Amino acid sequence: MDYSNTRLDLRTEEPRVRRGSVDMPFLLLTLLLLTVGVVMVLSASFARAYYSASTNHSATYYFSRQLVFAAAGVGIMFVAARFPIGFYRRIALPLYAFACVMLFLVLVGGERANGARRWFKIAGVQFQPSEIAKLALILFDARMAWRYGEDMKRFRRGVLPFVAAAAVIIGLLVFEPHFSAAIIIILITASMMFAGGTRLHWFILGGGAVAALGVIVLTSGGYTSERINAWRDPFADTSDTGYQIVQSLYAIGSGGLTGLGLGNSRQKYLYLPEEHNDFIFSVVCEELGFIGAALILALFALLIGRGFWLAMHCRDRYAFLVCSGITSLLAFQVILNVAVVTNLIPCTGISLPLFSYGGTALLLQLGELGIVLSISRDIPEKRFFTERRQRRKREANA
Amino acid sequence: MSDNSSPRRDGAPTKLMLSRTLVLLIVCGVAAFIVLAAQLYRIQIIDHARYESAAIEQQVRETAIDSGRGAIYDRGGGILAMSATVDTIYLSPAEIKMYGEGPELIARGLSEILDVDYDRLIELAGDTRSWYKTVARKVEQELSDQVRRFKNEYDLKGVKIETDSKRYYPYGALASHVVGFVGFENRGLAGIELSQDSLLTGAAGRVVRAKNAYGTDMLYTKYEDYYDAEDGCSVVLTIDAGIQAFVEKHLAQAVADYGARGGAAAIAMDPNTGEILALASLGNFNLNDFQAVSPEKAAEIGAVSDPEQRQQMLAEAQQEQWHNKAVEDMYEPGSTFKPITMAMALEEGVVTRDSSFYCGGSFAVPGDSGEGRHCWRRQGHGMQTLTQCLQHSCNVALIQIAQRVGAEKFYEYIDAFGFREPTGIELSGEAGSLWWNSELFCDPYNQTQLAAASFGQTFNISPLQLVRAMSAVVNGGYVMQPYLVREVRDSAGNVVSRAEPKVLRQAVSERTSQTMREMLEAVVGDMSEGTGKNAYVAGYRIGGKTGTSTDTVREAATGEKEYIVSFIGVAPADDPKIVLLALIDNPDPSCGVAVSGGAMGAPTVGAMLADILPYMGIEPSYTDRERESIDRSVPSLTGLSLEQAKQALVRQNLGCRVIGEGDAVTAQIPAYGAVVAAKSEVLLFLGSEPSADLEEVPDLTDLPYDIARQRLGYLALFLSAENYISDTGALITRQSIPPGTLVEHGTVVRVAVYSNDEATNAQV
Repeated sequence: MDYSNTRLDLRTEEPRVRRGSVDMPFLLLTLLLLTVGVVMVLSASFARAYYSASTNHSATYYFSRQLVFAAAGVGIMFVAARFPIGFYRRIALPLYAFACVMLFLVLVGGERANGARRWFKIAGVQFQPSEIAKLALILFDARMAWRYGEDMKRFRRGVLPFVAAAAVIIGLLVFEPHFSAAIIIILITASMMFAGGTRLHWFILGGGAVAALGVIVLTSGGYTSERINAWRDPFADTSDTGYQIVQSLYAIGSGGLTGLGLGNSRQKYLYLPEEHNDFIFSVVCEELGFIGAALILALFALLIGRGFWLAMHCRDRYAFLVCSGITSLLAFQVILNVAVVTNLIPCTGISLPLFSYGGTALLLQLGELGIVLSISRDIPEKRFFTERRQRRKREANA
Repeated sequence: MSDNSSPRRDGAPTKLMLSRTLVLLIVCGVAAFIVLAAQLYRIQIIDHARYESAAIEQQVRETAIDSGRGAIYDRGGGILAMSATVDTIYLSPAEIKMYGEGPELIARGLSEILDVDYDRLIELAGDTRSWYKTVARKVEQELSDQVRRFKNEYDLKGVKIETDSKRYYPYGALASHVVGFVGFENRGLAGIELSQDSLLTGAAGRVVRAKNAYGTDMLYTKYEDYYDAEDGCSVVLTIDAGIQAFVEKHLAQAVADYGARGGAAAIAMDPNTGEILALASLGNFNLNDFQAVSPEKAAEIGAVSDPEQRQQMLAEAQQEQWHNKAVEDMYEPGSTFKPITMAMALEEGVVTRDSSFYCGGSFAVPGDSGEGRHCWRRQGHGMQTLTQCLQHSCNVALIQIAQRVGAEKFYEYIDAFGFREPTGIELSGEAGSLWWNSELFCDPYNQTQLAAASFGQTFNISPLQLVRAMSAVVNGGYVMQPYLVREVRDSAGNVVSRAEPKVLRQAVSERTSQTMREMLEAVVGDMSEGTGKNAYVAGYRIGGKTGTSTDTVREAATGEKEYIVSFIGVAPADDPKIVLLALIDNPDPSCGVAVSGGAMGAPTVGAMLADILPYMGIEPSYTDRERESIDRSVPSLTGLSLEQAKQALVRQNLGCRVIGEGDAVTAQIPAYGAVVAAKSEVLLFLGSEPSADLEEVPDLTDLPYDIARQRLGYLALFLSAENYISDTGALITRQSIPPGTLVEHGTVVRVAVYSNDEATNAQV
């Protein structure tokens, strides 16, 4: 293929070239999953909302809020898709600094819940700085990798700055504490370095170091090892440490092949904790069965696959890194969430993108996907009419 | 596109980057999802059934629908226990809060209807995390209807009414230890209610409902399933409420008269079938309020300030009153065991009725030191026939008889009479027995165990075991299975099963039994030598044996001698229809009556039999002597001529005093139908009017019967006896109207006269 005609100079962004349309498969998959997700929030949350005094016994409390956020999120997604990639490159450093400041401020002035300070409450809306930090780190890491290029093969370029950037955020997260976010940060950093070209042996070294650190944390006893025990045998203590995971397994197992039918989950009747949040996928499994759950997993896989496909077709290295990073983030969240609710890994609080209830997180996720859509606009290899239309335009210009 | 030529900071991704992204795509976009799908497959398809059943188990709440609990009847069909529908009222504080209902309104309304403390209701309604707070259980229909109206008037969702059933015991305290009672869940806790619980309960029905984790119904998901309840069976007991009432009445009288501090127990059994006709353990308690202790106990507990101690005292008092002494206690039977020893000796042929035994006051056996063991009569009984040995309750003779039987044989008979096995009565907590092991017992060089056992000491048995063995002694030798449940009927009234008398084995022959019946009758019927003569009932042939034993366990514990006095009666002696054992635990030695089976146990059983035997339809047949001395019914004399009246009175063995002059009797004192002592003088008025003066009842206790009759006669008052008066010179022990009471002329004072001589007062 000859790409020479579509080459853009993104460093100067001059001359402005009319951008293409967003990637339809990616957009449709996103909207489809979002729609299913919002419906599932309704189904999963209405029992909790009905019985809870804090929602004033309104069964649609969580659903109506999620609906508003979803609509706003789609708006943000389209807005984000309008900004060119250069914009994101330019805001990478300020955003990273902003995220660090917010992470610091939340330690001082955040809301305290269950012994941790993880979020601000602004006008009744909860807001987790760690969500911003994830995006900020992707943009920042991508900027560094883009800048260093071939130098990524060297330790002081390909390893040190990335580890340092992650370490600042992780350091702040540990104080909240918020280990699940820290794990995501580590995974993002690794994937950014991996995509950016850091030499493989550093991953082996780093992986070893993280594993060693993990062993130390886990064997030091306390809260974390309790979770490990609950993971290895959740039925040993079904009333306390194993309660969440046991209830989740009951929900998933009850679903069987075809499920109990949409809206018919029984576990959501206050048995399953966090049923419209971290454990929403358990309700999905219970109501839609293996077929429905596998279908949703397939949709996520397609979305992720399309994200990487888009990354691989980027003409610009920065766009490539951002696209790959955001897709990786999405993948990690989905995989870890489902792995937790199916007890593949120890329990940790990771929400399911596009499904879990949570206003600002949803806004940010859709914003991130908007960035991917923005990137997709600069990719000519998008199939079907996009490609054809651009070729037609080129021919007309010529 | 060339990697090498691209500028450092921009340009397309390198090949390395693309290939690594492909790796990410394969790992994160494909491989991971395959793993997740596989895990889902494992949970949802392979382990589906396991998780589903576990989930359903927690999501589904079964509410039992009470099956109607069967009734308990006495042998005549009288209802001893029955169930009726009642309601349980409870609050759902969470819903009160949820629907914003005023706790004050609810508390005020319910406290008015149900007599529950207002503050307590406020407190219950304040626990808003709860969905179930019981306000009142077993509320009668009438009250719960009021609650229902109150609930509907204000549309209160937080006030709930649940159907329940309540157990009623129409006879109250009668046979309380036999019938038993049920707890809140209508499960039997004691007595027949406990032992026949599964029969009475039937199969509870179920409502299966989907519930949320708070335990209330799931919203929208109307999953419900009903399983019908199967009503329980009813049981008909062998207990006869009439006999039971007589037994309890006289037993209570004995406890009161003799100050029995350890309570009392009695068992009446049909010796031919093993049916328990009555079984009482005093003090009784009201089954309709089984947790309430006696007023005295309650006052004693109320006086204690420490609430914890009060709680403990209450619990102890309840355990004590629920304790079924007749079945759950072991005791040393003492002399009531002697007929058993005699029966085995007769059966073995080592003694005959013509055998004679010498009692010199004491007797030593191998193993005894000094002069051995004393008979209760220190100076001895001299030469005695076998019958006299039993009449005298002579220990020395019994030792000799047991020696003739031999320890091995003796031990075999113990087993044959069932003294080493529980009776298997349908009541929980039956006591067993305590015996020497056979090796120790049969030691030829130490016969002290055998010697003591011959007259019922140094072992423990249950009262029921003794009643069963005694029944075997008099019924032809058959050891019967005692039982309480005569019939089981289903809820429609059809007989499901009927108990048949069960002969466990024959211990002695009919011949021996015949001899024993005659000898036992001699113990009661012989008015000079019988130790059991106080049990005599005029017109009936009664056999029996006294017993006085010390409670060795308590004696060892407290150092004080505590007696259990008892009497086992058999009636009628020629054809036994009832064997009746009464035992009185720890009577007060200062009550004025000698602490002995003959002075306390025998009159008690005698009084019981005097009521029971006519009730059972056994006709009395009086001897001439009895006919002369038994109480008489005053004939109707008014309108008769003096001559005719006198003749009528002579026929009734009554005298008369004539007041006034005239041809015809115009009035009589006492009135027609009054029952008075023989030889009493009826006042005949010829024309004159009886005076309306009141007379003061004199103190009759310790007066000879004849003198008392005369003294009352002067006051125009009359005497009648509770028991058979064999000796008109015997002293009165008790009178029905307290001294000093003002009564009308012609009033009949009932008195008790019991023999109070060496024989009856002997502690045997």
